[in-house]
Amino acid sequence: MKNLYIFIAVLFIPWSSSLAKYDEFEDGDDIMEYDDNDFAEFEDVSEDTVTESPQRIITTEDDEEEATVELEGQDENQEDFDDADTQEGDTESEPYDDEEFEGYEEKPDASHSKNKDPITIVNVPAHLQNSWESYYMEILMVTGLLAYIMNYIIGKNKNNRLAHAWFNTHRELLESNFALVGDDGTNKEATSTGKLNQENEHIYNLWCSGRVCCEGMLIQLKFLKRQDLLNVLARMMRPASDQVQIKVTMNDEDMDTYVFAVGTRKALVRLQKEMQDLSEFCSDKPKSGAKYGLPDSLAILSEMGEVTEGMMDAKMIHFLTHYADKIDSVQFSDQFSGPKLMQEEGQLTKLPETKKTLLFTFNVPGSGNTSPKDMESLLPLMSMVIYCIDKAKKFRLNREGKQKADKNRARVEENFLKLTHVQRQEAAQSRREEKKRAEKERIMNEEDPEKQRRLEEAALRREQKKLEKKQMKMKQIKVKAM
Amino acid sequence: VPPDRAPLPPARYKPPATETNPALEDPTPDYMNLLGMVFSMCGLMLKLKWCAWIAVYCSFISFANSRSSEDTKQMMSSFMLSISAVVMSYLQNPQPMSPPW
Repeated sequence: MKNLYIFIAVLFIPWSSSLAKYDEFEDGDDIMEYDDNDFAEFEDVSEDTVTESPQRIITTEDDEEEATVELEGQDENQEDFDDADTQEGDTESEPYDDEEFEGYEEKPDASHSKNKDPITIVNVPAHLQNSWESYYMEILMVTGLLAYIMNYIIGKNKNNRLAHAWFNTHRELLESNFALVGDDGTNKEATSTGKLNQENEHIYNLWCSGRVCCEGMLIQLKFLKRQDLLNVLARMMRPASDQVQIKVTMNDEDMDTYVFAVGTRKALVRLQKEMQDLSEFCSDKPKSGAKYGLPDSLAILSEMGEVTEGMMDAKMIHFLTHYADKIDSVQFSDQFSGPKLMQEEGQLTKLPETKKTLLFTFNVPGSGNTSPKDMESLLPLMSMVIYCIDKAKKFRLNREGKQKADKNRARVEENFLKLTHVQRQEAAQSRREEKKRAEKERIMNEEDPEKQRRLEEAALRREQKKLEKKQMKMKQIKVKAM
Repeated sequence: VPPDRAPLPPARYKPPATETNPALEDPTPDYMNLLGMVFSMCGLMLKLKWCAWIAVYCSFISFANSRSSEDTKQMMSSFMLSISAVVMSYLQNPQPMSPPW
């Protein structure tokens, strides 16, 4: 992704500069101007060179264009000087001293005969040329920056409008279902702020709480990064859509133990790899939901068949079929702990904390080119969420299902403990060593020799006791083995 | 009041703990910040104008992608550094930048 950005930026520069390149030498007047101004510097060096060079055909130049233009310039110069000849005292038409052309009248014929001396014209450094055109790269850069800033402002405003359009559409439904709509955690009292939290220029949060059976609901509006020009350019090649992610945290007593997911096949495959709970409890590949009347685009991942049967009731199927294009994934899980944590070997000593969660990810229609009106089409999905909350509360596994579920959970925990057994032993060992070292240090630091002796003896006694205990245990094991 | 709305004190918002799960965070602003500083250092030390310009772009991109909770001082300092790199390069060598081709 970053490589793409760099590639695009690098492409941008040569393309636009190639448009600006050939403006440099079109204006002959400029050349004439700087020629004269600059040669004014060499006034006292030699009047010959000043007066002769304009007439010379410059052959030392590399660029042909430059040569031809300067030829034209010379012709104009010649005309000017001719005028100077005839209007000697007239200083209005020329900005130069008369002195400059003191010896000029004698020169014209004489100079033609000695045009064999090679003249090296010094290339006037670009920054002395006083022309903006030579700074075209800089102008390009600044234009690029201005374009970026413009895009930032436009993108930020669009995301803002979309977020508020979403909120205005959904506000009523949320306020009728939740006591607390909008909270940023900073107020002392739990009062609804009635506003979205802006986390970013493209991510908006809304926390709703105060409903039976669920602890709370966090809605995240994850828009595209319209404020970043690089992202906008990347999206031209790879279209993506805005997402609305809803995470409902259930109370412990309000949801039974199961793991279930439904969504697009692609999304489920990805989630199965990434999510801790789906990878552990749903080992099969996503199955087609055609059996329940779901469209082909949707698939199901489930811990056991009973859960699928229970979840796929008529209303649910209705929701899923009607809004299949907007649904990315729906996940119900009592063992939800987020994505798999990448931890180094030896650090995993505890299972990650789990919470009973319902997780919904919806795609906003429009595939990036959304307008505020599209937000209205997401309203039925929110109704689906509310329905699922109630359903999750009501759905209970039967005895068999519960047994299976408990067995699964026990199995996962056992596996985990086995994996970490070695690490836990090592951790315990290192803790013991730490204690010993601390003891020894204390003894060393004791200044009073009496106390020192006593502490040492106490430590020795403890060591001996431990050894005895171990020996007893070994004997017992041996006896048992026999 | 609909019966579903709970009269009990509702649970408060807790920002998702991204510190414990760095995979959830978007690394772009941090990378761009670092890149911007590296480029502005290169531009200043090696007197390369294009480095300085890229540094300005990087700091803009980092700003656009940053979270609102992020320190503005950090943003401003990287931005100022890149601007100073550009200005210094031009003061030392006022020639316009030559394209690489």
